[in-house]
Amino acid sequence: MRQPLSRPRALAAAGAAAALALAAAGCGDSGESDADLVWWHIQNEDPMKSTWESMAEDWAEGSGLTTDVQAVEVEAFKERMGTSAQAGELPDLYNTWGGGVLAEQVEAGLVRDITDDVDCLDKVNPISLEAYTIDDRLYAVPFDQGVVGFWYNMDLFAEAGVEAPPATWDEFLDAVAALKDAGITPIALGAADQWPVHYYWTYLVMRTVGLDGLAEAAEAGDFSGDGFVQAGQMLADLAAMEPFQPGFESAGYGAVDGQAAHMGEGIAAMELMGQWGPEVQRQASGTDGPGGALGFFPFPEVTGGAGATAEFLGGGGGFAAGSEAPDEVVDFMCYLLEEENQAKAVADGNFSTVAADPDAVVTDPDQHIQLVTEAMAAATGTQLYLDQAYPPAIGSTINEASEGLVLGQLTAEEFVAMVDDAWAAEA
Amino acid sequence: MTVKEPSAAPPGEGRPEGRRGASPRRRPVGRPGAGTLTAFIAPGLLLFLLFVLLPVAFAAYVAFFRWNGLGGPPTDFIGFDNFRNLLGDDVFMGDMWRLTLLVAMSIGIQLPIAFGLAMLLHQRFPGRTVFRLLFFVPYVLTEAVTAVLFGLIFSPRRGFADSMLQSIGVETQVGWLSDRSIVLFVIFGILTWKFFGFHMILYLAGRQNIPEELYEAAAIDGAGGAQMFRNITLPLMGPTVRITIFLSVIGTVQLFDLVFVLTGGGPFHASETLAITMYDQGFGRNQIGYASALSIAMFVISLVFALFYQRYVLKRDLQGSLTTAGGGRS
Repeated sequence: MRQPLSRPRALAAAGAAAALALAAAGCGDSGESDADLVWWHIQNEDPMKSTWESMAEDWAEGSGLTTDVQAVEVEAFKERMGTSAQAGELPDLYNTWGGGVLAEQVEAGLVRDITDDVDCLDKVNPISLEAYTIDDRLYAVPFDQGVVGFWYNMDLFAEAGVEAPPATWDEFLDAVAALKDAGITPIALGAADQWPVHYYWTYLVMRTVGLDGLAEAAEAGDFSGDGFVQAGQMLADLAAMEPFQPGFESAGYGAVDGQAAHMGEGIAAMELMGQWGPEVQRQASGTDGPGGALGFFPFPEVTGGAGATAEFLGGGGGFAAGSEAPDEVVDFMCYLLEEENQAKAVADGNFSTVAADPDAVVTDPDQHIQLVTEAMAAATGTQLYLDQAYPPAIGSTINEASEGLVLGQLTAEEFVAMVDDAWAAEA
Repeated sequence: MTVKEPSAAPPGEGRPEGRRGASPRRRPVGRPGAGTLTAFIAPGLLLFLLFVLLPVAFAAYVAFFRWNGLGGPPTDFIGFDNFRNLLGDDVFMGDMWRLTLLVAMSIGIQLPIAFGLAMLLHQRFPGRTVFRLLFFVPYVLTEAVTAVLFGLIFSPRRGFADSMLQSIGVETQVGWLSDRSIVLFVIFGILTWKFFGFHMILYLAGRQNIPEELYEAAAIDGAGGAQMFRNITLPLMGPTVRITIFLSVIGTVQLFDLVFVLTGGGPFHASETLAITMYDQGFGRNQIGYASALSIAMFVISLVFALFYQRYVLKRDLQGSLTTAGGGRS
């Protein structure tokens, strides 16, 4: 039974075992690649997934470089970016929303400064570069740019006797009440994801203290002003009317029975969402969505507030380059911005165009994207989503506090105290 | 089983004469040489150092800094601030409370259920094997799959759970995962569903190790079923019960996958666990220093519990199976 191994065989066995164990530990899927240019994007569904892929192939053919295109689901993407950034190595080209997250990466020296290298910026609308500009240096090129507003189901509004989209917050509350009376869920909300809730608070703040007031508060790290507390109280009052679908507390944005699905199936009358709203409504519900009945109106103004309806919360997507990227990455960025490619991306990805000359890119505009484009054209000011504009610790706190507020777990005063604490810890 | 032999004597000890007769063939069976021992232990030890102790030490170091994990090693030393902040953090304290609650329910409800089922399945009846198999199946599912599955079951509008209630005439929608006051209990229910089979198998094995002669003897002495259970089954199942409690507690401290996928810790922290808070702080907010402090807290909780439990509760069970510093047994 117990045949002891002879010494050489035992050593060989031990060595082999150790080598195997080390090899196994060392392998894993580290995402390492031999390609000259590694590109991570988040359009992980066709047609856009294939569109990016084929653009990369076409460019690779011309440039003689090899490319490795990885389509990553968005939440998984954020995780991979987090660990990659902490490992001090970012992909050669990657999706970014700009703002504070990008700024943190820039500060760590992980991002390539493309200000002086990229010579095709005349092809994009300068507004869409703002989110990627840090201390007057540019770090990414955009491919999508839009604004957040209320997507609403006109049929359901008519059913409840609401004639026109509300222009003021009071009218908005009246509309909510009317919809409730008619037995319709006024608002779809995915509170479990938190960020859909933070749009409400941010917009209310933009309407009460205005864009300048918000910028000053962020500069000082002090959100305790009256307008901020007032905005929180208004959101708490809205939540007290119980305007959201049952189970919104645990609903996700794009999940089965989530926010977008409620809109897509025509159960809820409105949602506050960005330019991708209609697309996700269709995907999450597996339906064609409300179609022609889907309208768009800007976030209503708050009477007496400093903000205006033409000031939008918004943002989009762009591509930044890792600091280790080959010089050719800039050529590829410009390749993506060629009008022909922009047109393809806008058509396949349902993006809201960033083109300097939209007509050259958008030949057959999607009816809903067109609403966003028109709103953007009329915009007098924009604010990037706060959870991207601010450093992650503060953005997450605002998201978390927004959820707590609509769930009745926090007061408006506690909300601003949490945000101020987060700023203080960051300073 | 063969008789125990002192096989794991430390290298160099106990065989001072061994070297003279250098031939491997003449070495006593079960006493490998120092070289062999080193060769077998070194890889494991190396990996343990590299992937367990080193990260723990690094986390302990980082816990004293404010650090976002980016741009080189941490520099902003803040002493014990991260730990102090932990104590004032409602979410962390809430995690501790939820941990206590889950542990209490696991020991008070989940393990007794598993124990009862094990006793039932120990009886002879047709289809016994099928039941044993069925009860064990949930344990085989990964936690992520379990979470997705129950996410659909407890989905607010078309979920299986609400549909079942409606079919028996209960029309009110239960906020299974959306009501902050019940979500933790729902999660406990899912945990029970998933893990009772595992504990049940352990109990079943423990029960089968009790010699039937004891029961025969007791029966001859006129003992009834209840008496046999109280005086034979329960005491002799002691080691198994104690080890399942241990596994259950440690598993609860580390609970992550299932809750993360199912609720993400929400609504508003109502189902959050220590591991989820750590993840959120570390990867959601880039507060690596704070998250490290939290992970050290988790480590200490697990370590202290494990040490005390082994020292005081598992003492008798472990006698003879562990090398102790004091060497209480000869």
